[in-house]
Amino acid sequence: MALLRAGDATKVREWFSELARPVELFVAVGREETPLAGAGDVDFGAEMVQLCESLAELGDDVTCRVEREPGGFPRYPSVSIRPEGRDEGVRYDGLPLGYELGSLVGGIVEAGREEPSLGPESVAALDELDRELVLDVFVTPT
Amino acid sequence: MLLAYRCALASERVRATAIEANEFPQLSQELGVWAVPRIVVDGEPRWDGAVPEPEFLRRLLDG
Repeated sequence: MALLRAGDATKVREWFSELARPVELFVAVGREETPLAGAGDVDFGAEMVQLCESLAELGDDVTCRVEREPGGFPRYPSVSIRPEGRDEGVRYDGLPLGYELGSLVGGIVEAGREEPSLGPESVAALDELDRELVLDVFVTPT
Repeated sequence: MLLAYRCALASERVRATAIEANEFPQLSQELGVWAVPRIVVDGEPRWDGAVPEPEFLRRLLDG
């Protein structure tokens, strides 16, 4: 399955060329939950590896590393988007397809920035945070 | 989704994960995911749909 179209690859290559710091895609694969009917026989883990390796080919500062069932991952497949190889809590669980491929690519671009792209008021509000927050955003590949 | 990622990258106290709902139907069912994006904070469904950054931060931090 072609996960990235030629036109998309050109745009992504351009964005990745502007990364200010390297980004590692740490891909965790393992036993997968049975998805909804209609998913067919898709090997989501293999597709995830292929997708992330393809993305890594589009930028010198983007790398891909794959591990089978590493600790700390409740679901597979998953990709942890790591600025300079550090786990800063940015992940995508499941295979991002269609519109959601933009979320993964956008996450890489964001992780490649030196400074947060949030507004100063938002950054200040987060600086005041005195507890851990776990934020899950459910999406679909429409 | 990008707002959630930006929050995680801006604060070491925030973790943000996109979860593909169709691929994890059991979890989606447990959390009553009928519309996307559904935002879940600390395991509790909080709201559905995209909102502007100031409103996103307000909902996230005022909870």
